[in-house]
Amino acid sequence: MSRDKLRLGFNGRFEEKEVEVAAGDPAPWDPAQKFSILGARTPRLDARAKATGTARYSIDVRLPGMLYARILRSPHAAAVVRSLDLTAARKMPGVQAVLPIAKSGDALRFAGQEVAAVAADTPERALDALGAIRVEYEMRPFVVEIEKAKADGAPLVFEGRVETKTSAGDAPGAKKALPRKGNVQGPRASDKGNVEQGFAKADAVIEGTYSTSVQTHTALETHGVVARWEGDELTVWASTQGIFSVREELSSALNVPLAKVTVLTEFMGGGFGAKFGAGVEGVTAAKLAREAGAPVKLFLDRKEEHLAVGNRPSSIQWVKAGATKDGKLTALQLIVHGSGGTNGGTGTSGPLKNVYACDNVKTEEFDVFMNSGPSAAFRAPGHPQGAFALEATMDELAARIGMDPLEFRMKNDPSEVRREEFRIGAEKIGWATRDARRRVAQSPEIRRGVGMGAAVWYNTGGTGPKATVTIHRDGSAEVVHGVQDLGTGARTMVGIVAAEELGLRLEKIAVRIGDTRMPYGPGSGGSTTTPSTAPTIRAAAWQAKNKVARAAASALGVADDAVESSSGGFAVKGRPDRRLSWKDACARLPEEGVSATASRAENHPDAWKRFTAGAQFAEVEVDVETGLVRVKKVVAVHDCGLVVNALTAESQVHGGVIQGISYALYENRILDRATGRMVNPNVEQYKIAGSLDVPEIDVTFLPVWDGVNNTHSVGIGEPATVATAAAVANAVSHAIGARIRSLPITPESVLAALDTKPRTAATAAGSREGGRA
Amino acid sequence: MADDSRSGFTRRDLVRGALVGAVAATAGAKTPVEIDRAMGPGAIPMTLQINGKTHRLTAEPRVVLADALRDRLGLTGTKVVCGRGACGACTVLVDGDPACSCLLLAAEVQGKKITTIEALASDGRMHPIQAAFVAADALQCGFCTSGMVMSCKALLDRNPKPSRDEIRHAVSGNLCRCGTYPHVFEAVERAAGIRTAEGNTGLSDFSAAILPPMPMSRRVSSDQRVDAGVAEALDLEEA
Amino acid sequence: MKTFTLLPVRSLAEGSRESAKPGSILKAGGVDLLDRMKEGLDTPDRVISIAHVSGHDGIEIGPPARIGALATLARLDAHPELRRVYPALADAAGGAATPQIRNMATLGGNLAQRPRCWYFRQAEFDCSKKGGDQCFALNGENRFHAIFDTDVCCCIHPSATAVALLAYGARVNTVGARGKRSIPIEEFFVAPREDPTRENQLGLGEIIESVELPAPAPGSRSVYKKLKEKESFDWPLVEACVSVTMSGGSVQDARVVLGSVSPVPRRVRGAEKVLAGSRPSPELIARAAEAAVAGATPLSQNAHKVRLARVMVERALREALA
Repeated sequence: MSRDKLRLGFNGRFEEKEVEVAAGDPAPWDPAQKFSILGARTPRLDARAKATGTARYSIDVRLPGMLYARILRSPHAAAVVRSLDLTAARKMPGVQAVLPIAKSGDALRFAGQEVAAVAADTPERALDALGAIRVEYEMRPFVVEIEKAKADGAPLVFEGRVETKTSAGDAPGAKKALPRKGNVQGPRASDKGNVEQGFAKADAVIEGTYSTSVQTHTALETHGVVARWEGDELTVWASTQGIFSVREELSSALNVPLAKVTVLTEFMGGGFGAKFGAGVEGVTAAKLAREAGAPVKLFLDRKEEHLAVGNRPSSIQWVKAGATKDGKLTALQLIVHGSGGTNGGTGTSGPLKNVYACDNVKTEEFDVFMNSGPSAAFRAPGHPQGAFALEATMDELAARIGMDPLEFRMKNDPSEVRREEFRIGAEKIGWATRDARRRVAQSPEIRRGVGMGAAVWYNTGGTGPKATVTIHRDGSAEVVHGVQDLGTGARTMVGIVAAEELGLRLEKIAVRIGDTRMPYGPGSGGSTTTPSTAPTIRAAAWQAKNKVARAAASALGVADDAVESSSGGFAVKGRPDRRLSWKDACARLPEEGVSATASRAENHPDAWKRFTAGAQFAEVEVDVETGLVRVKKVVAVHDCGLVVNALTAESQVHGGVIQGISYALYENRILDRATGRMVNPNVEQYKIAGSLDVPEIDVTFLPVWDGVNNTHSVGIGEPATVATAAAVANAVSHAIGARIRSLPITPESVLAALDTKPRTAATAAGSREGGRA
Repeated sequence: MADDSRSGFTRRDLVRGALVGAVAATAGAKTPVEIDRAMGPGAIPMTLQINGKTHRLTAEPRVVLADALRDRLGLTGTKVVCGRGACGACTVLVDGDPACSCLLLAAEVQGKKITTIEALASDGRMHPIQAAFVAADALQCGFCTSGMVMSCKALLDRNPKPSRDEIRHAVSGNLCRCGTYPHVFEAVERAAGIRTAEGNTGLSDFSAAILPPMPMSRRVSSDQRVDAGVAEALDLEEA
Repeated sequence: MKTFTLLPVRSLAEGSRESAKPGSILKAGGVDLLDRMKEGLDTPDRVISIAHVSGHDGIEIGPPARIGALATLARLDAHPELRRVYPALADAAGGAATPQIRNMATLGGNLAQRPRCWYFRQAEFDCSKKGGDQCFALNGENRFHAIFDTDVCCCIHPSATAVALLAYGARVNTVGARGKRSIPIEEFFVAPREDPTRENQLGLGEIIESVELPAPAPGSRSVYKKLKEKESFDWPLVEACVSVTMSGGSVQDARVVLGSVSPVPRRVRGAEKVLAGSRPSPELIARAAEAAVAGATPLSQNAHKVRLARVMVERALREALA
């Protein structure tokens, strides 16, 4: 442990801070540090494998004698299993194992819940066998509309104890026991100051109710595993964001020692928060494999993926806000009801509590259970929803007090990083001329609009991860770390950090990840992977390098602490001529090289801490005759700490923005009210933005030296998608001079908003107050 | 922590082992579908011309090309995402044209020239469009990439210098959930630019230039208000 | 997909004979059929494939123009002569589905494909189109459904080419057990109140052989327009196709067709009457567009489609009369 003086801050504004640096951990980089690869645009290490089709995803794994499994699912929104007859299925051609998942008397709570499973020698025969399973269901009353589920006398989703699927990436507090009345659980409440007094002090008070749809993750690789037993040891290739959490779940569900379960994820086709556990499918595959005495592949199809393995909950948010006429927020209040089907954790209060400074803030969050598939963590849980309501409120309040929405935000945002991002973004989107651009001369039916939104995120990573770095006698290095790469570029990030610390070119480094036999890696969720992993890798590389330095010292005939790193090698302190190149130093290592295994140090609590800040601006075109919205441009300005790889970070921001646009305009899980079944469990009628729906996206990163960990690194996955829908919605409102309070924004909702718009607003089009509803 | 090679446990070996039963031979004569002969319903022998090679397999007539490639022939580069023609992940070229292999019966494409992602790189060198995908980071999770690359290759084959709009349309049947489209557009433009500039001759140099060594860096942000010292720190000298 | 016997045939006549046998179904490109079979909506014992029959994928501009039923949508889109003479058809074909699907889907299959109604498309719903006793969409989730003829089954017909062919007054030529037929496309489709379980009048074993289009009148112009929520692969909310012939500054003849608004593609004679003999003006266009949606009976969630249909007719007419 040592106390180090650090220069921390951003944008040339650095302050000196003294932080405790743990033994074995290098001090965070100084702003003057010249990097060799960190922050550059580096193609990902596995890009070639992906571009050539040789990357082997878990769904691609084929083993000798492998069987194919499928799951039979309930077609009913609520039912009790009366009988389950698997006899005929067992006799079907090619069938090797059949397994009940539900048993007689079990309650099934959503259409798509698992009932039984089969494994057969071909995928086609497995499906055939599902058709031979006989199930008698006793239909029960169900509810799939949130308002009806809230009402007294609604069919109860859970008669007794709430049985929710929870996973490592659930929203904070999801697992806490909460009061429940009927189908409504909660509230999770927070209360700061006194909102009534705050509203009393306000010159303007507004309120509004905002609703958002259910969004399904729709990762392209579905949930699933390949499971193989060798004696009493289980190996599972999983499509997961957390190989260690999958191992944990398999071990406990199957009663197999952790030591005898291996989980592998070499390549992974997207997760977005829904893939932390083994799931029913993973456990079932392992059981089928044991019964059949053969490896089993069980991956869901697209329909199952929509129904049963996660979604972003809906929300109905009532927001009330007050401000003084000189633009100071005096009170913010939120009551939200959300439904994650049979799951909880539906809160949206994050942005409202954490973006703008306000003395009086009160929030109450209620989960409403319904007979639909359980929600799961989804890229910034609660935040796109919350930001949509909050940022619309900010626009409306600004209009009410006659202040520019950007100026109003600047007055209330305590984050100097985000205020800078607002300034950069506003200039890039042309905020100053946004009113003048609303009308398009040659297209009278088109209105342009510009809107903005703020992003906030928190996670700074944490302890737990370990990594081993081995430096070989030829100067090459190997990094072993049990993290997995969802497509974020984690594998490459690991290599870059090691290359930077060791002063090596990236191609001299071998990166091994995705295996629970490796030192523990973090689950990839909450944008914590990079800030958890990067400092771990750097610490291990630093420790290993120090061992090489000792070899160099011995070769140079000086004490261990008498050498320092010097342009691609080591030199005696104060004697740059007495040096040894990296290669020569490594050549003196023992045959096995040198290794160091480091643990992620604690975050420096006394560092220049702040929430991760982002700002996004959107420009849209709205056809006022058809209600169609096209997003033309998005400017995304983000704090990503110190960027490890600018190329993949940019890709991730593109992705966050595009998912946000898709959420704002298209995505909507639709349940049939009469049967409770999802009517669009596909990628044709569950609409996701495609190549023609993507605008120009301008990405800027604002480097921040926060000193929280030794690499100043921060995750960008979630911040990138928090503000997009909010910015798009505000842009639409600016364009048409009317407010739309529900997502997705559809042609009919735009037309309806135009129809109900007061005539005065129409005549005011083009004026600065046009955003007023 | 176990070491793959030492434990005798190598996943790729096992995967290779699973290929037994599907025989690949060098391209021979075309084998058209035998007209007027009822096939199935049980498994039947089939001969497919894939990537210039003749592949023989036995499968039921209901087996679609995507599943034949993946489950029977071990050509798992082709992915299945929706299975219903709506996402383009399973895109292969049939006689040069992009098609959804999830909606083609394997038995019916006998005699047709099928090109999958596995065919594009040769002698360890990537096809220019693949090299451009790598350089532009036109992939994230990579699950849509095979289909995306096939659509882009087909586009460049018939239109070596496509406009941005033509690129957008060419991949409009390829769904990417990670939202990688802007980099896909950039990759196609890079590949197209090189074709024009080098007249196809400089292609291998280009792909060699991608990996390794690593290409030059750029500043994280082009914004002027980012501190000059910061920008300098992030600007690489040649490593 | 249930297991089946695959029988590739050498001729349409043979395909006709074989597909008339019990438990058999005809397959061409297979895009729609395999989708349905994977969902379990169709479970044939025998699939009779005409995919390899040669000589039925030609495009002759004529007059009259004749397009083989096995011509792919991609070929229609890419055919310069077809695009010059029948631009609305080329646009309809070129804007359908995705590039991959257009390479696989045939014109015949596009006309004979079944609706995309999400109730019909899921095996769990025993709807009237499957012989069941109710239309789930009528009082259910019907945002994308019909706004006309919404009494028995309120699905919308999915064929984009049909909308254009209706505007061109095309005929559908078929081969079947009773020989060849040539059916005006207006009579080709079957409304649900006649029989909700089918969309066209093809008999058992009857196969579309080609589509025939009359030569456009001199000076005529045609425009196909559609509105989609998403620009990338999406089914239209509404389609409008107009074909107008001018004479001496007045509209001599007009055809106005709406797509994606009714169980069969809809020719709107009321709008045509408004136009015939009149001089083009914004007011005339507005009146014709209003007439095009007269009598609409939208459902609980799709009243906006009436307005969208009116706007799309207006826009198509404005462009055609410009």
